[in-house]
Amino acid sequence: MFVWGPVIIALIIGFIIGSRLKNKVGLTFSSFIVVFIAAILFAWQYGQFPYYDDFNIATPFVSAAIGLLLGKLVFDR
Amino acid sequence: MTSKSSPILRLIALPISFIIICLGILVILGGHITPGGGFQGGAMIASGIILSLIVYGSRDNPLHLSHDFITKVENISALGYVLLGIVGLVFSGFYLYNVGADIYNIVPNIITTIFHYPDPTNAGIIPYLNIFVGLKVLVGLSAVAIAFYGFNNLNIDDE
Repeated sequence: MFVWGPVIIALIIGFIIGSRLKNKVGLTFSSFIVVFIAAILFAWQYGQFPYYDDFNIATPFVSAAIGLLLGKLVFDR
Repeated sequence: MTSKSSPILRLIALPISFIIICLGILVILGGHITPGGGFQGGAMIASGIILSLIVYGSRDNPLHLSHDFITKVENISALGYVLLGIVGLVFSGFYLYNVGADIYNIVPNIITTIFHYPDPTNAGIIPYLNIFVGLKVLVGLSAVAIAFYGFNNLNIDDE
């Protein structure tokens, strides 16, 4: 069973915060891809926390990371 | 402090802030079944923003929260919390009654369906309250840190 509620809300909160993300530090797009892969590894280490569903990763964590990147890409500040 | 931040700090602070923010969101969303909740998760997200503020400074901060953004998020989250309480007051007679779980069976089914949180725990409106509190704490603590940082810069300029 997959729990949709936290995934969608994590995406929204991540998008809200990601919309404020400006690239003033000089990180390229590929740097953000590396950070995203690190986030996926982090979520995998977390395991099924906190909902203990069928996925072996913390799905809200990955969803929040996707939301942050989406907010950054959409607003492109 | 910002111009004195080492290149290593400037390279690694934003990715660490990114991970801390994701972790804070996870803590907010698991607040009704695990240790954590709105305040703790919001404080973790704010700590990510504060780390970025300290390392890069207010001018070059990649996670810059403007005054308008802080005001809007603070207002929306406070209003959302109050409105959830008023929904309980209108449909059950009790302020902040958990209309999503409805353990006393006094709320119409359609309202329970609307406010039911889509996860297996039947938590009702508790996760929504956590989310609103988390957003409020996130912008509140960040605003405090941004203000203190600005005051500190004023003092340095005076000296």
